[in-house]
Amino acid sequence: MTNAMELYQMLPKTNCKKCGKTSCMAFAVALMARELTPDDCPPLKDEPKYREGYEKISGLFKPSEGATETGLVVHEDLCFGCGNCVVACPVNVANDPYGVGSGNAPKNINKLILTIENGIVKAQNVGECRRFGKNKILCNGCIVTCPVEAIEFV
Amino acid sequence: MDFGSFLTVPEIKVKVVTYRDIFQDKAMIENRFGEEYRDRSAVIKLDPADLKQLSVKKGDTVILKNSFGRVVVRAEESGYETSHRGIAYMPNSPWSNILVSDETGGTGVPKFKDISVTVTSAKGEKVTEPGF
Amino acid sequence: MEKNYHVCTGCGLLCDDIEVESEKNIINKVYTACRVGVAHMKEGKEEAIFRVDNKPVNEETAISEAASILKNAKNPLIFGLGTSTSETHKLAIELARKTNATLDDTSSFCLGSLVEALIHNKIKTCTLDDVRNKADVIIFWGADPSDSHPRHLSKYSYFPRGSEKQRGWEEERTAIAIDIRKSHTAKICGNYFFQIPPGGDTEFIDALIAGLSGKLPKTSYNYPPKKILELANILKGAKFGIVFAGLGLIYSLENLEPLFRLMKALNEKANFHLVPMVGHYNMRGFNENLFAETGYVNSVKFENDIVKHGPEYSIVESLKAKTVDAALIIGSDPLSSLPRSIAKNLFEIPVISMDPCETLTSRNAKVYINTAISGVEAGGTATRMDGTKVSFKPVVETNHPSDEAILKKIMEAL
Repeated sequence: MTNAMELYQMLPKTNCKKCGKTSCMAFAVALMARELTPDDCPPLKDEPKYREGYEKISGLFKPSEGATETGLVVHEDLCFGCGNCVVACPVNVANDPYGVGSGNAPKNINKLILTIENGIVKAQNVGECRRFGKNKILCNGCIVTCPVEAIEFV
Repeated sequence: MDFGSFLTVPEIKVKVVTYRDIFQDKAMIENRFGEEYRDRSAVIKLDPADLKQLSVKKGDTVILKNSFGRVVVRAEESGYETSHRGIAYMPNSPWSNILVSDETGGTGVPKFKDISVTVTSAKGEKVTEPGF
Repeated sequence: MEKNYHVCTGCGLLCDDIEVESEKNIINKVYTACRVGVAHMKEGKEEAIFRVDNKPVNEETAISEAASILKNAKNPLIFGLGTSTSETHKLAIELARKTNATLDDTSSFCLGSLVEALIHNKIKTCTLDDVRNKADVIIFWGADPSDSHPRHLSKYSYFPRGSEKQRGWEEERTAIAIDIRKSHTAKICGNYFFQIPPGGDTEFIDALIAGLSGKLPKTSYNYPPKKILELANILKGAKFGIVFAGLGLIYSLENLEPLFRLMKALNEKANFHLVPMVGHYNMRGFNENLFAETGYVNSVKFENDIVKHGPEYSIVESLKAKTVDAALIIGSDPLSSLPRSIAKNLFEIPVISMDPCETLTSRNAKVYINTAISGVEAGGTATRMDGTKVSFKPVVETNHPSDEAILKKIMEAL
């Protein structure tokens, strides 16, 4: 899971202010809020020594391409229906600890984000996802647990 | 004169390891005689360098041969990051079983995951039908 | 409201929390099951089929033909049963006794030896529920459950919260894959994927044992000793460790001794269990049921009142040596799943195929009886891969006879 602190670790940490913010930490917060993009930090973008950080951060903030309002895309053709994402999603766990949180069928399906229907993952209530809303974080629970990259945020 | 016909076709020896694939299993349950099952079974996954040596493009058919049988299957790139020249992968299926040795040392256990074959380009020959 | 859950018999995991929507005995929607489970649940067809010599016949004719094949055989082979209920197993064993048959299942060429070791308490084992509730170090060795048992990681082995694992997989569990290729499961294990060369398992086991006792781990393929020591350290710290042993591991070993050594070494330093990655939903059940009746898990030959046992009575060796003179194949497709060099000998003997779906074996059989799908159209009990007994009712009704009903009728006709 990514937060402003982790983004900060990937930045130059020189507080050069070229982005218009007072510090690299403030730039990281602005990135999280999607006020600014990684390209707004000139050293990060241009200097070879920061390339790794630049590529990592850019990967996290890929521009949206025709996804749902929250950017969550399910590649149905790839999905195994294994349910790893369903069980690993922190929102699912919090809302249904003894159902999907414990590896079982949903007991409280209306409050879940991810469920498995006909062997394929289905997303609902995407507004509840930790990547969205006021206190968003770059949660990747459903991505790192997927054997085939069937879930993507764009 | 067609000099090409005198040139030997590149041939390599590989060790085939079989594995399970969920989409192949699903296709088998749906129809063992269907196209999807054939497409997902009659496949050999090779190291890109081996494909190159065979002058075969991914998706082309290749002949797999040993003293137990001969099959034509599609060649694919394995997609594994680490190089595995000389080792190839096939989903466990009637196609791989055509090549499995009957030598078991009396144990009752054939070497399903350890099959030695030679690979050559099939020059467009169609994938083998699984029947007898 | 208590929900009506079904058991999925698509693989050895026997998931017991599947919901379906059906209309007129056709399943339209399946919830919570994986891809393979859904395909299995929806497999049902309309008409029951009986054939003799590739011509459609009625049930009675098919059964009397099957009975006469078995009666005329001196040493019929009864094979399959991995996807049959334990009730069916008991009938098959009785039928084998009656007909002086050779009786075997697929476990003779996959995980039977390992299940036998568990039955004899040679290795410490546990249930999948124990794994969910307690396991902190999980090893997938020569196994790729993401493809073979898709819900394994999410329902039991890695991701779920358990009674003693409340904080989740990231903090409390370490999943390790030891394999010759980066399988889908190995991918999920990330940095804890240990790639070894084909056939390198025994050496890796011994290197790991050396590492566990602080010695320098050596392999002929120069596996970095530092990585093995790192792995050994993780294993040493396990409070509840589990090894899921797959075919990749078992096929690579000449016998189980290296695995016994490893489990012993692991349990000197930590607490480790082993569960075999049984594929067919009731293969382990067959091993247990036959063991209860004969003291052997597979590859037996009944002769009047005695039971002989040994690899020569396995399907592979008995077909190879042509010692059997007829075959009753129940829910299995040896023409597809055996080496063709061996399976072709089935063409020389009369074959009875009982299967819910058309296979290479059913198409080439003298008698074909299209049975109900065990677990979807017929109920019963089975043993899960971890030894837990599970019972289930049919999900939908069918006009297909169950393999249990057919075996009863064949027995009556004898």
